[in-house]
Amino acid sequence: MEALFNQPQRQSKVGILVMFFYTLQKFARAFFPIILIFFFKSEKLNLFYVIPGILVSLLILGIFAYFSYLNFTFFIDEENNEFVINDGIFNKTKTAIQLDKIQQVNVNQSFIQKIIGVYALEVDTAGSAKKEGSIKAISHQLALALKSRLLENEKKIILDENAAPDPEIVLIEEPKPFIKIGLLTLLKIGITSNYLRSIGLLLLFYSTIQENLRNFSEKDYLDGSQFEDYFSKQSLLQGILTVGLVLIFIVLIVNIIRTVVKFYDFTISKQKGSLLLSFGLFNSKSTIIKPEKVQITTITRNFFQRKMDILEIKIQQATSGEVEAQKNITEIPGCNETEKNEILKLIFNTIPQKGVMMKPNWRRLVFSLFLGIVIPLSVYFGFGFYLEPLAFNYAFLAVGYTIFVATIVFFGYRNNRLFVNNDYIIIQSGAWDVDNRIIEIGKIQALSTSQLFWHKTPDIGSLTIHTAGGDVQFSLGNFTTIKQYVNLWLYDVETKNINWM
Amino acid sequence: MEHFTNNTIDIAQLPRFEAVVFQKLQPDYLKVLIINRVIIFTILAVAIGLATYFIKEIITFVPIIWGGFTLFVILSLFVLRISFLKKGFAFREHDVLFKSGIIAINTIIIPYNRVQHVALHEGWLSRYFGLAQVEIFTAGGNSSDIEIPGIEKEQAEKIKQLLMGKIQQQL
Repeated sequence: MEALFNQPQRQSKVGILVMFFYTLQKFARAFFPIILIFFFKSEKLNLFYVIPGILVSLLILGIFAYFSYLNFTFFIDEENNEFVINDGIFNKTKTAIQLDKIQQVNVNQSFIQKIIGVYALEVDTAGSAKKEGSIKAISHQLALALKSRLLENEKKIILDENAAPDPEIVLIEEPKPFIKIGLLTLLKIGITSNYLRSIGLLLLFYSTIQENLRNFSEKDYLDGSQFEDYFSKQSLLQGILTVGLVLIFIVLIVNIIRTVVKFYDFTISKQKGSLLLSFGLFNSKSTIIKPEKVQITTITRNFFQRKMDILEIKIQQATSGEVEAQKNITEIPGCNETEKNEILKLIFNTIPQKGVMMKPNWRRLVFSLFLGIVIPLSVYFGFGFYLEPLAFNYAFLAVGYTIFVATIVFFGYRNNRLFVNNDYIIIQSGAWDVDNRIIEIGKIQALSTSQLFWHKTPDIGSLTIHTAGGDVQFSLGNFTTIKQYVNLWLYDVETKNINWM
Repeated sequence: MEHFTNNTIDIAQLPRFEAVVFQKLQPDYLKVLIINRVIIFTILAVAIGLATYFIKEIITFVPIIWGGFTLFVILSLFVLRISFLKKGFAFREHDVLFKSGIIAINTIIIPYNRVQHVALHEGWLSRYFGLAQVEIFTAGGNSSDIEIPGIEKEQAEKIKQLLMGKIQQQL
C-alpha cells in the first residue's frame, strides 16, 4: 500500500479516545492531591453534587480531546522536503523538521494505545532533549509507511556511503589493542582522583547504615554521645585530626577499590578508524568512540598525577535521543603523555596545540572571593552577634574555612585559561583537578556572549560555546577579543561545511 | 586546482556581529505580555482580597499588604517593559542573532548550517494580535535554542520558510 502523506491528515479516529485518556491521566496526576484531600476532608460527601461534577469534567475533557484531535495534523511537504506537525487548541504550534535531519523514527505502543489498538510514532533529531515530533494515535500500517517514507532520505545517504569507499573486502579486520592500562596505573589513579565522588558514596553508605540501625532498634546507636565522651577526654582539635586521618584513609581505600572494579583490564583498540574500549572486573563493558562524533575532549590531571605522569581523558560524543544524554561521556582512566597523544591523534588526526592564551579579568577573582568567603562569613558573624554568641567558640573553623576556600578560589582563577588556535579551542579550568577541554571549531553549534552593563567600560564579558556534547563557558575575558573570536569562528563554521557528527 | 587559493583571512575585515542592527519586537507583543500579567495580577489580587476578608488576624497589616502588592505590580510591569525593549533579533546571510537581557546583555548566534528544525508557536492572545513566535533548534540542547516572540504571523511564516530554505541549501 502506498500511503500518501503530502496532504495534511489527522490521526486515526480512535485517536480521540487516546487523547481523552492522556488528558485524563495528565489531569489526574496534576490534581491527585487535591482530589484526595477533598475526599478525605469532607466527610459528608453529597453524591448529588459529586457525580454530576465528575460527569461534567469528563465531558469537558472529552471536548478538549476532540478539539485537540481536530487540530492535530501532520504531512510531508514534498516541495520543501520537510515533515510538518500542527498542534494545539488555544496555543498553536507548527513544527517543521527537515527530512534529512531525522535521526530516528520510533513506533511504540503504550498500555492505553495497546487497548485501543493504535500506535505512537516519534521523530527524533540530533540534540535537544525533548522529542521533536510525536503522533499519538496512528494505525500500524500507516505508522510503518510513514516511517519508511521519513527515513527514505537517510537510506539514500547510507547507500551512497556504502558505495563510495574502497571496494576491497577488508572490512572485517581484527581489532588490534594498542593501549592497555595496567593495574599499577589504576592504583595510581585510585589514590589521586575522584575524592569527592568517594566521599559522596561514603556519606550515602553511612546514612543508609544509620537508617537501618534506627529501624533495627528503637535506640539510636550513633546519637553522638559516644563522640561527646571521646571529645571531652581529648582536645577538640586532636579529635578532628584523628577523624580526618581515618576519613582520608577510608576514602583512599574506597577510591582504589572503585577504580579497579570499574576499569580493570582497560583495553583500547582501533577498528576501522574508531576507538573500541573494553573494561570492567565483574561486568565488562565496551564502548565505541567514533572520531567524527566526538564533541568535547577533556584531559584532566592534578598535581600528584602530573608528578606520576598519568592523566584521565573524558570524551563527550554527540547525543541523539533523550536517554543517552547523560551516558554519552566516555572515561579513559590513566594514560601517560605518549598514550594521550596517540588517542588524540586518532580522534583529531593531529595533536591539538594550545594557541593564543587569554586570562580572565581580576574581577573574576574578586567576585569568587566575595561569593565564597565574604557572604558566608557575614552570615556567620551576623548569626554570632545577634543570635548565638556561642558560635564564636568555633571561630577556628571559620579561619580554616577561609584559608581553604581562598586557596581553592585562587588556584581556580589562576588555572582558568582560554587557548585558541586555527582549528581548536582549549579551555583550561579547575583548582585541584585541572581540566583541559578541547573543542574543534567546526563542532560549534551556536555561540553566545554575555556582558553585564557595568562591565562595558572595563571591556570584559563572557563567552559560551554550545556543542552537541554540551556547553563550555569562559567568564570575564577581554570582550573585544572574545567578539573577534566569535566573528572568526562564525566565519569558519559558515564557510566550511564540515560533518559535525 | 588552478582556482585554488588560500589567502590569509584578515580578522579585522570579517563581518562583525556586534555591529549588526537588531530588529525590535512588534509593539503589540508588549500588549500581549501586559494582558497576560494583568490576568495573573487580578487572580493574585482576588486571592489577597479573600484572604484579608476572611482571616481576621492579619487585618492590621492590610494597608502594608496592598501597598506591597501595588509596588510589586508597578515594578514588575516596569521590568517587563524594559526587558521587552531590550530584546531584538537579526537575520544575516549566514546566521541568526537574538539579543536579550536587562542586567546582562546576552547575544546568541546560530549559523544556519547548524539549525536542526524550526517551530512556529501561536499563543491564543498573540493570535488575536496576529503575532507568532519562531523557535529555532540546534543540536546543542536547550541552552542553544533561540525563541523569537512577537513577530507578525506573515513575517514569522516567511522566516520559517527562509530558514528551511537555508537549511536545504547547505545539504
